[in-house]
Amino acid sequence: MTALLDITDLKVTFNTRYGQVTALDGVSLHVNAGETLGVVGESGCGKSITALATMGLIPMPPGRIAGGSIRLAGEELVGASPARMRAMRGADIAMIFQEPMTSLNPVFTVGDQIAEAIMLHQKVSADRAFKDAVALLDRVGIPSPADRARDYPHQLSGGMRQRVMIAMAVSCRPKVLIADEPTTALDVTVQAQIFDLLNEIQRDFGAAIVLITHDMGAISEMADRVAVMYAGRIIEEATADDVLDFPQHPYARGLIDCIPALGREEHALKEIPGVVPPLHLLGAGCAFAERCEHANDRCRQEKPLLVNHDHHPAACHAVEEGRI
Amino acid sequence: MTKLLDVRDLTVRFAMPRKGLFGPRPLLEAVRSVSFTLEKGRALGIVGESGSGKTTTAMAAIRLTEAASGQVLFEGEDLLALPDEEMRAHRRNVQLIFQDPYSSLNPRARVIDIVREPMDLMEMGTMEERNARVRDLFKLVGLRPDQLNLFPHQFSGGQRQRISIARALTTNPKLLVCDEPVSALDVAIQAQILNLLARLKDELGLSYLLISHDLGVVRHVCDDVAVMYLGKIVEHASRSALFDSAQHPYTQALLSAAPSLARRKSKGYVRPLKISGDPPSPINPPPGCAFADRCPRAQDICREVQPDLEDKGPTRVACHFPGPIAA
Amino acid sequence: MTDTPDYKAESPAREAWRMFRRNVPALVGVVILSFIVLATLYGTFFYAGDPYNVVWAPHERPGVTPEFPLGTDYLGRDILAGMLTGGGPTLAVGAAAAAITMVIGITLGSLAGFYGGWVDNLLMRITEFFQVLPALLFAMVLVTLFSPSLWTIAIAIGVVSWPQTARLTRAEFLRIKELEYVTAARAIGARNKRIIWKVILPNAMPPLIVSATLTIGIAILFEAGLSFLGLGDPNVMSWGLMIGANRDYILDAWWPVTFPGLAIFFTVFAVSLIGDGLNDAFNPKLRER
Repeated sequence: MTALLDITDLKVTFNTRYGQVTALDGVSLHVNAGETLGVVGESGCGKSITALATMGLIPMPPGRIAGGSIRLAGEELVGASPARMRAMRGADIAMIFQEPMTSLNPVFTVGDQIAEAIMLHQKVSADRAFKDAVALLDRVGIPSPADRARDYPHQLSGGMRQRVMIAMAVSCRPKVLIADEPTTALDVTVQAQIFDLLNEIQRDFGAAIVLITHDMGAISEMADRVAVMYAGRIIEEATADDVLDFPQHPYARGLIDCIPALGREEHALKEIPGVVPPLHLLGAGCAFAERCEHANDRCRQEKPLLVNHDHHPAACHAVEEGRI
Repeated sequence: MTKLLDVRDLTVRFAMPRKGLFGPRPLLEAVRSVSFTLEKGRALGIVGESGSGKTTTAMAAIRLTEAASGQVLFEGEDLLALPDEEMRAHRRNVQLIFQDPYSSLNPRARVIDIVREPMDLMEMGTMEERNARVRDLFKLVGLRPDQLNLFPHQFSGGQRQRISIARALTTNPKLLVCDEPVSALDVAIQAQILNLLARLKDELGLSYLLISHDLGVVRHVCDDVAVMYLGKIVEHASRSALFDSAQHPYTQALLSAAPSLARRKSKGYVRPLKISGDPPSPINPPPGCAFADRCPRAQDICREVQPDLEDKGPTRVACHFPGPIAA
Repeated sequence: MTDTPDYKAESPAREAWRMFRRNVPALVGVVILSFIVLATLYGTFFYAGDPYNVVWAPHERPGVTPEFPLGTDYLGRDILAGMLTGGGPTLAVGAAAAAITMVIGITLGSLAGFYGGWVDNLLMRITEFFQVLPALLFAMVLVTLFSPSLWTIAIAIGVVSWPQTARLTRAEFLRIKELEYVTAARAIGARNKRIIWKVILPNAMPPLIVSATLTIGIAILFEAGLSFLGLGDPNVMSWGLMIGANRDYILDAWWPVTFPGLAIFFTVFAVSLIGDGLNDAFNPKLRER
């Protein structure tokens, strides 16, 4: 069976004032229908660029897709015409953003905005579309949806706005739903509601979800499989249980151990020293070597490949050599 | 144990814009008669969601926001009653670390001047002594002395937070107020700052008032925890009592909402307690318990009578029906 | 631990200067303005001549007599001498008016923005009062009431143009005073005076500097306008005065008006280019490109 969304060896470069930098360096990912893939990493690791590339929303220039392919249900998206991409966006593949306030238009009611999204892709009357919008608001758990549909975005709370975004995103029953840090701007009790809602929607609609997050806790509750990204490459990929219970790459281990988790109460948290290196300063070796306690000369000179080890794929010389 | 800070019935109101041209300005009660104490050498975490009044409480307690009424006894002296000049002199004892390491450092000053400024204002020692102290503090918080002459924009978020901490420590304060000290940082960097805060507390015998929305952060740094909801403390207990046997349904909801590695999608997790909706508006708070609308245990009395914060079993809790989560 | 690559300590002002140096139009502005300033300061060393003396036949065309390359005016006075002598007062009035504008505008704007409440209300009403006055008319009244000297002209221009600076300063103060580093300054016990002058004002300066350069340009035009209407200081040669004195004969002789007019045009143009360049240099969003 081929995957619903299949990204192979994707390369994205950007022209910056430091010259050309490689934001994505051979990223391969796939998601099956009804599955949630978590993409996790710190800011600047390339997880949002991957999402934008999939949506065909990389600003070009300065960006450029330098190689690789993105296939949605067998159809190649890299090099697809802008008209074709527009038809796909919203209908076959939809996205939920981090800040629902800035992604909703403040001068239209939320009902009208959802109805418009429906009419863009389906030949239905305005009345029908508005009724569908109200039904969708009801589906995403907004109380008295007929009244709320006539509200403007600023009249709703942050959690309600994110529900509206979700309603809009699923309005055309997309095959793939990309959620880019959907709860970062929300309170924790509201975040829990949104997570539960996304899981329910997936059960009902059978959509594939790509969840982009920096939070291993969110991965644990939401994801079936996980790809850990660092400096534009995937450094570990496996089922969520495998990554969380048996992380291989030192960076993945660090990300899990550095969380001040509720269940644990050790004296000092494990630290990952330093910060993510800027893309224009990446050398020939492993991008994580500077921050890694296991790094040796080989790590600093040769980029490790994502290959299967004892447990699951990880891109690390130290794992490969059995040093950790 | 000695009380460092004793906050009594602290209330803060903000005037909102008028509704009509001549209408009265509606008052928003952000903090509603909050009382708590903080003992020397301990860390109290104030937890709550946005709009709970946790930041306002801390800011009013150190008089950076004006309180409408109440007392703040700092080593027995009421800070709210001090004349301005005496309060200024008191500032050396009470320092502050902000949430946003990007906006809390003056972008047009060198970091050596930023860290030295509190000593300049207090006229402590000679210039050489002050600069020497800045150098020591830089080492203490894990920065290099050769970075002293740089400007804030040349540092990463985590390093800026270290600078912020160094500035707060210059005057040897007794109390450090930390307002969401790590929520703007990447997860891997959060651990660095939390470990630093924990180490400084032990080494320097500091007391913390730590505001956070993240229970994990509070659990890591704090000895005691107060949970706020709509301007009131709803539960207050030692760390272990609060995390192991929370009595208030809101605390329990917070604990079950926090993402946890223990809840796996593959295992088909179930949240022990789900709540729906958002907090009510603080402009017209409900007459009874503010949480009643979202609470699975609410009865008629909850909507009519405000519960007081009282010792009930393992924690101090403001709830008519406290107790563990019903199975 | 190597957290950051080693940067040199570069202040925000220095960084802005680095950006400014790369901006070609702004550098052209600097070159033009430097040439004009140098010419008005030192031009008379190389080209001595009294602009007030009648030295030749009136309305001599430029380029005909080598002694008077730009020709003579309706009285037979040397135009090039007038240009070189008159530039100084023109530029001085512009700079003085801009300085007066800045002092009044920044003082009132910062007090209004920082203290808010009734102080803000009062100061903003005063500002609005001055803003709705027809500027040219009001300046004319001031100049006619007091004898038209360079100083009264500079003051008149300053008095009518400060409200914009005040509003800009106030807006910057309102924005910056909410930032955490201001709360941080208060938390370490800084007094209001220090917060206004040492913390907020330096951070509010970039847009104010840009606005000041533009004010210089506007003030020079203003001075020219007043002189053109015959309200300039008749005892001091300035570009505006030259235009004003020769305007009646513009159909007979274009050059006595055109040369000072071009000088004013290039000065204001150069100042605007510099102002735009400063704006780009201070604007951090453009910096990323």
